[in-house]
Amino acid sequence: MDSGTDDAIADGVSRQVDPRWISVQRIHGAIFTGVLTIGSFVGMMVVWVASGILFLGLLLMPIWLALIGLLAWHTQRWPAIAFRHTWYRVDDAGLELLNGVYWRTITNVPRSRIQHTDVSQGPLERRHGLGTLVVYTAGTQHSQVKLYGLEFSIAQRIRTHLLPRDHGDAV
Amino acid sequence: MPSDHRLHPSSVLFALAGSLKSFLLPAVVLMWTSGRSAPESPDPGGWGPAGWMNRWMPGDFEIANWQFWALLFLIPSTLAALARYFSFRMRYEGTELVIKSGILFRNERHVPYARIQNLDAVRNVAHRLLGVAEVRVETGGGQTPEATISVLHETIFEEMRRRVFAGRDVQQAIEPGSDAAEISPQTSRTLLHLPVRELLLNGVLDNRGMVVIATAYGVLWEAGLFQSFWEQLTNGSYTPGLLRETVRTVASGNVPSFGRIAVLLIGIGGLLVLVRALSMVWSLLRLHEFRLTRVGDDLRTEYGLLTRVTTTVPLKRIQSLTVKEAPLQRLVDRMSVRVETAGGHGSPHDGQPKQPREMLAPIIRKSAVPALVQEVLPGFTLDGLNWRPLHPRAFRRAVKPFIIVSLVSALPFVFWFGWAGLLTLLLTLPWLVTLAWTHVHHTRWALRQGSGHAAAEDALVMRSGWLWREITVVPIAKIQAVGRVESPFDRRAAMAGVRVDTAGSASPMHRINIPYLARETASALYERLASQTAQTAFRW
Repeated sequence: MDSGTDDAIADGVSRQVDPRWISVQRIHGAIFTGVLTIGSFVGMMVVWVASGILFLGLLLMPIWLALIGLLAWHTQRWPAIAFRHTWYRVDDAGLELLNGVYWRTITNVPRSRIQHTDVSQGPLERRHGLGTLVVYTAGTQHSQVKLYGLEFSIAQRIRTHLLPRDHGDAV
Repeated sequence: MPSDHRLHPSSVLFALAGSLKSFLLPAVVLMWTSGRSAPESPDPGGWGPAGWMNRWMPGDFEIANWQFWALLFLIPSTLAALARYFSFRMRYEGTELVIKSGILFRNERHVPYARIQNLDAVRNVAHRLLGVAEVRVETGGGQTPEATISVLHETIFEEMRRRVFAGRDVQQAIEPGSDAAEISPQTSRTLLHLPVRELLLNGVLDNRGMVVIATAYGVLWEAGLFQSFWEQLTNGSYTPGLLRETVRTVASGNVPSFGRIAVLLIGIGGLLVLVRALSMVWSLLRLHEFRLTRVGDDLRTEYGLLTRVTTTVPLKRIQSLTVKEAPLQRLVDRMSVRVETAGGHGSPHDGQPKQPREMLAPIIRKSAVPALVQEVLPGFTLDGLNWRPLHPRAFRRAVKPFIIVSLVSALPFVFWFGWAGLLTLLLTLPWLVTLAWTHVHHTRWALRQGSGHAAAEDALVMRSGWLWREITVVPIAKIQAVGRVESPFDRRAAMAGVRVDTAGSASPMHRINIPYLARETASALYERLASQTAQTAFRW
């Protein structure tokens, strides 16, 4: 079947997303940890001062430190683990996505079911030259299938490939 | 243009009634109840805008200031309704319906006939007195109807339905203003008609009486009439905690008075009878003259005594079909059949809780089901399917969460009663284990090969339930996405699940989601569904 343009993309080989996605996710995680640290610190101080129990701080502080440390460790560690479990495959028939570390899901979206596609880019993604491919179907649970962390040009090539070309598919 | 249509003049009234209903009803109830609890209004219409209004009000009907302001809020909606009435124009073009509305912000919406999923009309008593209908045009996108046209004259709706579906079939321009007789009248065939007897039976089986009771209860409660109602009914022997009192008497080892037991038993028995009776009334009103017809390639249902509902579903727009059999239905050899379309799911805000899935047959004889299924999914039969069970070890896995739940639920009892609390397990455990067992042993799946060679005729079928049995059929061509899921527990047991997404399955429904398959089976099924789905073209 002559499917036209970008057959280098649609080769049916499973690929991982761009490794730069890990650092983007780590920055996201760091920002999240930072905001939560400040917020919870203020909250804890208020509780401490309001309670008027000097002893309470000695109790709360280590717990708080441990929790924040755990969060920081997790947000720096997790992206690499998630990255290892995220694969995608594009071929003539459509798009297949593997993700999830503990709960693993494979989702297959046939090309003839794709209503439209988006390639979006947040500020951090733009700095790293990454993009997110969003595929929309008429379904409900999977009406949006997102593939994060693609190199921007690859995301665009996949989108071009997935655009409905055969007439009559969409109507 | 000659074929421009406008709304019916009464649409302004209906719009007003709509906002009144959603807005004044609580206000009236509040007015009433607050009047009851505080009969002496501190300042009966003294200062403020309500003061002069009360002078015009008859009798002791008082309105407070806030209620006056509340009335003021109706003015914008009145203006909006008027603007809508004066600006609304609808016309038919070759392949699309064009709806124009708005005075300041003009909006012109083109809805291609080919995209219209279904066309519904709702007529309540007031609508029918005036000979008008509220029309809903549903396309695939979104949760709400593409256009709700409230209200059109009935003849206009009939013409609209004819043109929309004729235009879709012919796929060529119909000259605006051309003679309607040119469009060949399609043959219509009744597939199902429910006589009064079936409706009464449906009422008994369906048990909607609780809905009526709950509503009535709420209203009575709100109105504070409850106490006196019960007192009159039970001739004074009712006291607010009768049930509680009786239970307490029994618990303390005494025998409650005979009169009290009698009142209780009669009360409970009467309630059960009343519920069923009300359910029958509900069924009679709601489904009065239920008729399912096939007109060309469309299924049309019409029902309702007070509110007459007409829905039209094109056959090829049907995304899935579900046959359901409740325990009571099984006793009398009846089933119910529903289909799902990709149309909007009805908006909860407009008061009418629209059925998310189109009801093809609320009640139908078991023997008539195969014919109906044939009609909806040509070439498909429910018997002769090669039902496959879940993994042999599925029960062992399914029962674990249930055991954990029953253990956790026993904890508080252990805390209160000591180890004797574990006796509650005798109650919960068998029940939950049965639940797990029936869940696993009655969930089956099958892949149906169509009569032709094309994958388009194949379908994935799942059935589940022991008491409430459901069978759902999803044609391969209607699958949107296929997924294979594997939880950590699945992985340990070398199992996986397969689920299938279709358009319009947003409601909590019988969705195809097959758990506990052997990993190889799941992978094979997933691969097969994925490749077959890719081969077929999805046509709305």
